[in-house]
Amino acid sequence: MPVIKRRMIYASLLAALVLQLFPWSGWGLYLRPDFVLLALLFWMLRAPQHCNIGLAWIAGLAIDLSSGSLFGQNALAYAITAFLAVVYQRRLILFTDLQQTSYVFLLLLVNQLALFVLKLFSGAENPGYYFFLSCLSSVLFWHFVIIRFFSPRARH
Amino acid sequence: MEYQQSPKFFVRGPSAFARLIMFATLSLLLIASDARFSYLTEVRQSAVSLLSPFQWLANRPVVLYNDLSDFFTSQANLRAEVKRLNSQALVNGAALQELKTLQAENEHLRSLFDASKTTIRPTKMAEIMHLGLDPFTHKVIVNIGADKEIQAGQAVVDANGVLGQVTRVYPHTSEVTLLTDHDLSIPVQVERSGLRAIAFGGGREYGVNLPYLPANVDIQVGDRLVTSGIDGVYPQGLGVAKVTSVKVSSGSPFATIVALPIAGVQNFRQVLLLDLDHKTAVNEEVAKAREEEQSNKVSKNQKTNQSVKKNAGH
Repeated sequence: MPVIKRRMIYASLLAALVLQLFPWSGWGLYLRPDFVLLALLFWMLRAPQHCNIGLAWIAGLAIDLSSGSLFGQNALAYAITAFLAVVYQRRLILFTDLQQTSYVFLLLLVNQLALFVLKLFSGAENPGYYFFLSCLSSVLFWHFVIIRFFSPRARH
Repeated sequence: MEYQQSPKFFVRGPSAFARLIMFATLSLLLIASDARFSYLTEVRQSAVSLLSPFQWLANRPVVLYNDLSDFFTSQANLRAEVKRLNSQALVNGAALQELKTLQAENEHLRSLFDASKTTIRPTKMAEIMHLGLDPFTHKVIVNIGADKEIQAGQAVVDANGVLGQVTRVYPHTSEVTLLTDHDLSIPVQVERSGLRAIAFGGGREYGVNLPYLPANVDIQVGDRLVTSGIDGVYPQGLGVAKVTSVKVSSGSPFATIVALPIAGVQNFRQVLLLDLDHKTAVNEEVAKAREEEQSNKVSKNQKTNQSVKKNAGH
């Protein structure tokens, strides 16, 4: 198994951030996969000693800053999601690809739900159920891009 | 029996739950302090300037695409556009001449009435960089900020009418909240009847709402709403929205009035930021009224003092 360097983790997270900051608009914004969260989950499964709840929280802060939302909303949602991923990490790495994908889908739903509740509590407008479309696009991205091309099993 | 903890096989630092509690508390603190107080403005500004290279990088493909499509515009298209702009300039020029005579006439009439003069405010041109990345809000980011002396509160307009208001200023960019955002409200006037009201952002579906107007209010579908200018932020007479539906239900004393903004974010990339005018007519009047009030109070106090003295004398 190749050694995972911290540098690689940070570089991939920054790349994900750039993808997230791409000027999405309209339906694109609703259908935008949550690249940063997917990158975080990927590393949390493979290298929990390097990528943990703290890193997820910091990434969430970066998202908050770039999207101009209240400081700490995305950070809290990411921290909760990261907790649920890290707690079951040892079981998750033994799952089959499909099982892993479905668990990731649940995590994405939890993240969107947490964000939804936080935003509504802080007085934002209700964006409707479209808001959860990003879970679908994210899980498709996870299954067909991340597992296909980046998973350690894909190399064999 | 002595309880002995076995050493951990994997060194993983504090448990996941402890970490979650710590970071959740931190973020709740941050949310509360950001929502209630404005301590974090400077922190946010410096952090955004750290993020700006990534934003720049993310915007590159779109900028490149625009540049390329500009480069490959055919000559026929350009000629058609020049023709269209020329005819537009002709129409605008005629209107402008009329405007000048009207302005002179208006000023003359105002001087007859001894009313305060209205001034045309200086503006700054900006370009919309991207629409906001948060589906919960209606915001756009424009390409000038604190470096061009932009301040929060400036009105933003395009060729058709009001677009919104600057709400956050960063070093090189600023954030404009659109009329449709449900945190923004704007004082308006119905152009046809002169009725004043306040329009609130209604979100994606509703555009702009006019709540709290009685059911028998004189507003019709198709009425144009313009800024009334009584807030001192937006100058008078800028187009805001067009009424699309007026509903009266027997159960409510208020009419449900929905209007669609006239200015469109999708239509133009260039917008104008009007400078804040601290010496607007309204502010002057308010200041005058306050001064009068204070002088009244002072004279009243003096009178009461005098009467007290008189009483004491007797």
